[in-house]
Formats: sequence, C-alpha cells, structure tokens
Amino acid sequence: MTDLLAIEYRPFLAILCPTIASFLILVSGRRPNLRESWTIIGSALLFLTVISMTPFVLKEGSIKCDLFNLLPGVDFAFNVDAFGLIFATTSSCLWILVSLYSIGYMRSLEEHAQTRYYFSFALAILGAIGIALSANLVTMFLFYEILTISTYPLVAHDETPEAIYGGHKYLAYLLTGGVFFLIGILMIYFLVGTTDFSHHGILKPALDSTSKLTLQIVFFCFLLGFMKAAWMPVHSWLPTAMVAPSPVSALLHAVAVVKAGVFGIIKIVCYLYGTDLMHDLGLGLVLGCIAAFTIIVANLYAIGQGNLKRLLAYSTINQLSFIILGVAILSPMSVTGAMIHIPFHGFMKITLFLCAGAIMVVTGKKEISQMAGIGRQMPITMIAFTIAAFGMCGAPPTAGFISKWHVCLGAIQSGQMVFLYIILIGSLLDVVYFFPVIRTAFFEKMPEVETLSGDMEEKVQVVSKQIQIQETKRPLYLFMVIPLAITAAFSIIFCLFPNAFYIYDLAQMAVKNIFGGM
Amino acid sequence: MIPQSPVLVVVIPLIFSFLNLLFGWFRRGLCYPITLVALALSFLASLHTLNTVITTGTIHYYLGGWNPPWGIEYVVDHLNAFVLAIISFVSLVVGVYSRRSVEQELPDKTVFFYTVFLLQVTGLLGIVITGDVFNLYVFLEIASLAGYALITIGEDGAALASFRYVIMGTIGACFYLLGVGYLYMATGSLNMTDLAQLLPNLYGSKVILVGFAFFMLGVAIKMALFPLHVWLPDAYTYAPSTVSALLAPLMTKVGAYVMIRILFTVFGPEFSIEIFHVTDILAWFGTFAILFGGIMALSQTDFKRMVCYIIVAEIGYIVGGIGVANPTAIKGAIFHILNDAFMTACLFVVAGMVMYKTKGHNISDFRGVFRKMPFTATIFMVVALAVIGVPPTCGFFSKWYLLLGGIEAKHWGFVIALLLSTLINAALFFRVIDKGLYLHASEHTGLHSEPRYDEAPLSMLIPGFIIAIAIILIGIFNQAIFRNIIEFAVPSGL
Repeated sequence: MTDLLAIEYRPFLAILCPTIASFLILVSGRRPNLRESWTIIGSALLFLTVISMTPFVLKEGSIKCDLFNLLPGVDFAFNVDAFGLIFATTSSCLWILVSLYSIGYMRSLEEHAQTRYYFSFALAILGAIGIALSANLVTMFLFYEILTISTYPLVAHDETPEAIYGGHKYLAYLLTGGVFFLIGILMIYFLVGTTDFSHHGILKPALDSTSKLTLQIVFFCFLLGFMKAAWMPVHSWLPTAMVAPSPVSALLHAVAVVKAGVFGIIKIVCYLYGTDLMHDLGLGLVLGCIAAFTIIVANLYAIGQGNLKRLLAYSTINQLSFIILGVAILSPMSVTGAMIHIPFHGFMKITLFLCAGAIMVVTGKKEISQMAGIGRQMPITMIAFTIAAFGMCGAPPTAGFISKWHVCLGAIQSGQMVFLYIILIGSLLDVVYFFPVIRTAFFEKMPEVETLSGDMEEKVQVVSKQIQIQETKRPLYLFMVIPLAITAAFSIIFCLFPNAFYIYDLAQMAVKNIFGGM
Repeated sequence: MIPQSPVLVVVIPLIFSFLNLLFGWFRRGLCYPITLVALALSFLASLHTLNTVITTGTIHYYLGGWNPPWGIEYVVDHLNAFVLAIISFVSLVVGVYSRRSVEQELPDKTVFFYTVFLLQVTGLLGIVITGDVFNLYVFLEIASLAGYALITIGEDGAALASFRYVIMGTIGACFYLLGVGYLYMATGSLNMTDLAQLLPNLYGSKVILVGFAFFMLGVAIKMALFPLHVWLPDAYTYAPSTVSALLAPLMTKVGAYVMIRILFTVFGPEFSIEIFHVTDILAWFGTFAILFGGIMALSQTDFKRMVCYIIVAEIGYIVGGIGVANPTAIKGAIFHILNDAFMTACLFVVAGMVMYKTKGHNISDFRGVFRKMPFTATIFMVVALAVIGVPPTCGFFSKWYLLLGGIEAKHWGFVIALLLSTLINAALFFRVIDKGLYLHASEHTGLHSEPRYDEAPLSMLIPGFIIAIAIILIGIFNQAIFRNIIEFAVPSGL
C-alpha cells in the first residue's frame, strides 16, 4: 500500500480513482445516497492525488510511470508534466463541484437512469485525466476514445428522438475525428518509430526521410482528429450536443471534452512538432487563420441565438479558438496565455452553464427572452452569471483578463498584429451578446400576470409559481447554487492570484521547457 | 504420452464423438459432459503442443511411424500451434455455452447434435495440424460435411441455406482437390515440406500455375472471400445459435490459415509475390471485401445476418493483410485470426443469449433488451468496442498492425478501407446499442421505473464473460503473444 502511494505511482492512482468510483457507482445503483457518495469520494480523492503531484513536478520536472508494453516502442505510460497537470487539476477540481451540482439537478428533475449518468460521468473524467497524463500518443488515443464513447450516453440521456439525434451527430463527428487521429498516430509511428511526447518535438529527424508536405498533411490529420476542439467548420456537433442535461454540458462541453481537444492540439503543436518545426512548415500561420476565422464567425452565430445554452455553446467555440490562436502565435507569452486559459475558461464557462441549468430547474426557462427580471428571483445565480460573462469578455477583475492579456502581449511580441485585432474584435462581440442577457435578467420587469393569456385559474397558478420559485427555497437547490457560487468566486480569485493551485507556475514552467528558457 | 500431444488434439474429439453416440443411446444427458471432457482434453493437448513449440521449436509427428513423404506427417510450427489453440479454446467455450441453447432449440436432437459437433471440431483441428495437402482435404471435407449437417437442423430456411452451402462448398472442395491432383501430377508428392522443396524448379510450369489457381479458388470459397461469400450469410443466419457461434468464427479462420500455408509455405513467397503478383490481387480483394461487407451489414435488419456480413468484412481484413505481404501486415493478419475468432464467437454468443430470451434475432428484437439483461449488455459492449477497434481491446491492435503494414507498403486503398470500416462498424453497433438501451420517451412507464431483470442463464453468461475478458486481456498483453508466437509465425523469406 505504501508502495502504491509512492510518487511514481501517483499517476496510476489518479487513473484508478475514477475507474473504481465508476465501478462502485454501478454496483450500488439501487441506493442513490451511497452511489452519490462514491462520486464525491472518488472526485475528492482524485483531486487530492492530482494536486499532490504538483510540488514534485515543479521541483523535478516530471513524473514518469511506465506500466506495460503495448506495441514495439510504445508503452502504456504516463508522464506527468506541468502542462498536463494544469488540465488534470482543472478537470478533477471541477468534477467535485459538478458532482454536487448534479445531485441537486438530477434529483430536482427526478431524472431517469441516474446510475448510468453517474457511471458515464466518472468514465468521462477517467478519459480526461488519462489524456492529461499520458506519455505518448497511443495512450492518449486510448483515453480519447474512452472519453468519446462514455459521453455518448450522457448526450443522449433524455432518450427523446432529439437527444438521440444529438448523440448520433456527436458520435459521428467524434469517431470520425478518432479515425483521423489514428491515421496521424500511425504516420508518426511509421516516420519516427515512437510516439512519446517531448518538449522540443520529435519530428525533426523525420524531415530527412520525408517531405515537408507529408508532415503538413499529417498535421491536418491531427487537426481533424481533434474535432473535439470544435474549430470551424467541424464545430456543429457542439451546439447539437446541448440537448444533454446541464451538468453534462457544463463539465463535458466546457471542460473535459472540448478542452481535451484543445489540449491535444497544444500537445501536437508543442510536444510533437515543436515550435521550430511549426515555424519551418508554416503551420502556425495556418492554424492561426483557422482559429481567427472561428473566433469571429462563432461570435456572429452567438449573437443570433435565442436559447441560452446554444448561446453558451457558440461562446465556447469562440473561446476554444482563442486558446488555439494563443498557441498558433507561437510566442512564449501567448502560449502561456493559452495554457492558463484552459483552467480559467473552464471555471468561468462552467459557471455560465451551471447558471443556465439552475435557471432551467428552478423556473423551467430556457430562452433568453423569457428571462426578464430573473435576476431578482435568483440573485446569486445571476450575479455569478454576470461575473463569468465579464470573464468571457476579458474584463478585469476576472480570470479572463489575465489570459487575454498574455495572448495579446504574445501577439505584439511576435509582431502578428492581425491576430491582436482579431482578439480585440472578438472580445467586443462577446460583449454584444452577453450584456443583453444580463440586461434582460436585471433591468427588465417580469411580465405582468395580466398580460398572460388564459383563464383565471391559470393566472393563479402562474402567480403562485412565481412566488414559490426562489433559489434558496428548497435544500436541493442549494446543491446547485453553492457550486456555481464557488466557481464564480474562483473566476475572480484567479485574476487576483493567478497562482492558485500553482497554475501560473506550472504554465510558466511548461513554456520554459518548450521554448528552452525565455 | 507427452510426445503424442499433437495427435491427441485431433483424436480425442474424434473418439469422443462416437462415444457420444454410444452413451447418448442410453442416456441423453451424458452427451453434454462427454463433449465437454473431450473439448477440455483437446484444449489441454493443444496448449501443451503450443508450449512445446514455443520452447523447442517446430514439431514433426509421423502418423503410424511412416516417414514422409510417404506417410502422413503432422507439422506443428508456431503458426498452426497458435491457430490450434484458438480453435480448441473457442470450441470449448462454445461447448460450455451450448447446453441451454440446445435444450431450447433442439430438444430431441441432442445426441445427434453433440456427435456432429465433435466431428466438426475434429475436422477443424485436423485441417490446421496436418502437413499433408491431401490429408488436409480429408479433414476439410469432414469439417464441411459436419457443418452442412449442423446448419440444416436450424430454424425455417436452414435447409435451403444449407443446400446452397453444400453446392458452393462442394465446388470449393472440388477445386481444392483438383489443385492437389495437379500438384501431385507435377511433383509426385503430397507432403507440404516436400512440395516446398520440389516446386521452385517448376515455377515456370503451366500445370503448377493451374494447380495454384485451383487451390486459391477452393480456399477462397471455403473462407467466404468476397465475391464468393454468398453462401455464408444465409447459412449462419438460419443455423442454430450454438452452431453459428462455433462455425462462423472458426471455419472462415481456418480458411485464412490454409491460405497463408499455401501461399507462403507450399509455394513460397517468391512465387506468390514476385513471379505472379498474386498477393497484389488478394490485397484488392481484401479491400473490396471490407467495403462490401461493411455496406451490406449496414443494410441488414437481422442481427445474425449483420454479423455475417461483418465476418465477410473481417475476412477482408485478413486477406488484405496477407495480400499486403510485408511482415507487419502478415503479423496483423495472423493476430486478427485470433481476434476475429473471439469477436465473432462473442457476437454470436450474445445473439444466442438474446434469442434465448426473445425468441428472435432481428435487430428490432433487441429493443430494450439491454435494460433487462445488463450482463449481456456488458459483454456486447466489450465486443462492439473490439470490432470497432477501440483500445485496449484486441481489435485495435490487429488493426494497428494491418494499418501500419498498409502504410509501409503504401497500399492506400487498403488503409482507407480499414479506416472506413471502423466508422461503418461504429454505426452498426451503436444502432444495436441504441435499440437495446434506449426506449423512446413514450414507452417509459414512469420516470423511476427500474426494469425487471431477466438475464440469460449462467451457463451462457459465463462463456460470454470469458470471451469478453479474453478480448480485453489479449489486447493488453498482445506483446506477449507477439514476442512468443507471432514473430516466429511469419513465413520466412518475406
């Protein structure tokens, strides 16, 4: 047992937590309280394991954990480095909060198939953590597929034709992505005989035996492989997948799934191709253009959305491309910005989704136009929403400001002013679609009862319902309100103390390794 | 006892099949245990053979003490020891699984069933173990005849399907026999090792070429290589579920084994690859088989028939891998023989379990089934992931080697077909999983309605679980198999 707690087994331990939790959840499906406590215990243990690795990584650089041989030259192995820890910390920390929120959400709505829900959820986290810690592409692919498949039952959770359609679309996109990812891995393996990540890229030697064009094509295979990053034009699974329950959208579509895509792209750019090779092949610019296009177009789409969750989906697409853009600029500052934006955006976006879910549960409203005056009914929720929305626009004092600052600085440093303008325009457009929501919620009056059509009895019902709905009225609602308040608080804390959970240190260390000393 | 293990592998099921007939006369209930004992002993013998081959190398066993090339010789090298172990293991597992299914589907034919079942296994094992082309034909006919009989006792339509299979299968066997005749005419020998030494001098001969063509055609029919697969879907759809689970995975794999033997042992890589470019043609046949099998599978409404077309596609994987003909791809093909045997056996086992409960094997019969049968659902999920090729199941690793081989040979057609087939398989299996897991909202009786469990009997579940676990373990520990067996099973001279 003491052996298992040794530092080189910690990555394995981290993988074990969600695995065992998922198993226990399945077994105790008939006793809801026990089942939910497994989720909470699993998530807490996972978070502790991940965070306990951080000081060691900051001191020693990385933790290697080889388990067994999968293929010649490829081990099933974990290699915890600074960048991986950022992603792992984000996912594991948010899993705790979302689990609490899920209890409130699922029980308030009396959802069906809750065991399946919590089971798939734990597996999805397993996938995300595995991706974060994996030492080579094959191990990463394994967890990538686990993540894809385990989230399918979550997306199709409602089992309505609409939800199943959403699930199918989701699978069709992501499994196709998986195939491209696989062909990319095979090409890399064929060219250099290994798939291990390295700080300076591993593909330099391949240039002796193959042309630049091959490497460029392989890069596009990877890019298509990471459809999870929802860059345009392969983004359309994301808005469709919003049929999922809100906690699912929150964790998976703001944190685990989409961030796994972005994380993968950063890994490919920095740890497989290496920044020098990216320059030589001219791929940074191409990637930047794709990201810039996505930022603008996704924002334009978002302006036209009436459904709050769909609006958030397009906002996610925009923010993901912001991260990609940060990497594509390929300057130390911007890469730092991109890396810290993964947790920062995670905390802010999850707040927004949790708010959308809470509004849905408490009042049953999904459209923005119905939300007039909701800020008075649900003050905590809407204040949290406002904070996070500010963060999306990159306004201080929210975490979004810090990352945007870094990426902009990086763009200036490397002289790519076009990208700077794109980011600024993107931020302006963010304001355009987030502020009307806030205005509707706080400054518009709730529709008068008299204006509603229907007979007297219905009016009475509406009135009594409006009196009933208060976010702190039922204990179950607290399960939802407290987590979203915490994440909103973190959105501010990260601005004041960017080094909370060592995130800033880790990012700087990762960047230092990639660029070989700033 | 110990040096006799190669022959025991074959003789045990042969003798026990007649014991079955004898004891079954008195007590029908004895057949099942007798069969199990035979299969278990045969499995142990084949494991022992495999172990001996791994530690000491190729075994030559002279039947009756007659020296080759006059006597019949059993040659067991890494390749056929490996295939032997696969066959005896799968038949043992299917044997265990057969009990309840046979009780339900064939209540008054138990004795007959188990007798022929063991004969079938004898035939399959014999084909693999022998080192003599004519002896191979004999076992091929034993296996085929037993197969025709087993398929005929299935549900409505089985007789016609079996009849079609008889015609196609006999034509295939005839071609094979003609091939043997031509070779004997030219060389005067039937022993594979002997032939391999005699043939290189005759590579220019038209007789040899025609003989080779007959061989290939005969094997292609037996292994249901597209476009000669037409007998397969009907036959395995209407066969009793146990029979499908035994025949579908093994018969075709044995065909694949024979193909490797003839291409690379009897004729040698020089002939098959360089002089006549047969492998190039095979690679394209494999490619088309993958695509055709996948597309046909998509259009099926019957689960068993869908699996049949998946087999057609999987045969395409193996033949394509053989056709790409570099060591990586051949390794993938050999490994896929193992994987596919397990995966298809598992799929038919699941089909049998669902059929046991619902009395049907249409995809529409799967509606809501997985809620009632969570363990069956788990098994199905594992095998579905394996067929799609998701790591860490075994399906991923054979696909990896096949793809890598395709890339090395720059055979992009095959690579693209394999990748497409991944997507097609995903579509196929998620369609079934959806049917099994989700009810449309209107069918919910209440929000909290927990389904009533109605699981298949343990004697069916345990074999299913064994295969499912094996599928995962083979994937995780695939390098052990590669290092000990497959590395040596690759034909020399590639």
